[in-house]
Amino acid sequence: MASLIHCPHCGIRPKEEFTVRGDASLVRPEPDASDEAWHEYVHIRANPRGRTREHWQHLYGCRRFLVVERDTVTHEVYSVTDGAAAARGGSR
Amino acid sequence: MLFQSRHPLESKIGSGSSIRAVDHLEIPRSVAIATVLSHPDETAAVVAGFAAAGDLVMRNVAPGEWLVLSHIERSDSLERRLSGLLTDIADVVDQSEGRVLLRLSGPNVRRILAKGVAIDLDPSAFAIGQSVNLRCGHIAVNFARSGENEFELVVMRSFAESLLEDLLLMGREFDLSYGFSGGLADPD
Repeated sequence: MASLIHCPHCGIRPKEEFTVRGDASLVRPEPDASDEAWHEYVHIRANPRGRTREHWQHLYGCRRFLVVERDTVTHEVYSVTDGAAAARGGSR
Repeated sequence: MLFQSRHPLESKIGSGSSIRAVDHLEIPRSVAIATVLSHPDETAAVVAGFAAAGDLVMRNVAPGEWLVLSHIERSDSLERRLSGLLTDIADVVDQSEGRVLLRLSGPNVRRILAKGVAIDLDPSAFAIGQSVNLRCGHIAVNFARSGENEFELVVMRSFAESLLEDLLLMGREFDLSYGFSGGLADPD
């Protein structure tokens, strides 16, 4: 796992300060969407090899949710953005 | 009923080390601490408010969130003053009984802290006055550089004993001494 994360608020920190909160690429279905769609959203996860987007929370630092784009094979971290900013930017 | 203020580390520290070493862990007895949480999009206004007040010690916690410290004011007057200063732009909560301040100073502080803290402590990388939240050992603390070779840690009350033990262990190599500073808190 990527060992150093560049938090946009706190600087470079070890991964021990963070908790991984899951896939950030999921889009919440409409409330009246089918059970199938909700099942997919709530339970079904891929285990991708390569580039992924995840929610990380900087629990021991600023406590903000971050969107971390990293590679599960090479451990390279491509980008770290604040979760609120990422959501506003509509880049999901 | 009379409320008696008692420091959370009172029973742990007592009278402290008999001899003060060059590296010293000082626990100020009475310090007023408040958290300030800015309302959405009011961060700049809050920062301007702090600048106008002039004498407040600010510690960064997160975007739009700070700890404010005062060594001269009492906790209730600090909270009242901040609330007045930041009306409608931030929420202020007194944390004086909820947090503990520890001050580490001496020529070897960086080597002591490096055992528990994973940031670059070089004077050029972490300037005087800079502050961040970070993990020291397994405890979340607010960490600040308050002088040339002086760092201040603000920790949640219930973690204070544990952090004190960790810091003393980290400083054992350098005979780190410890003790309270400042007068006894007012008994009322």
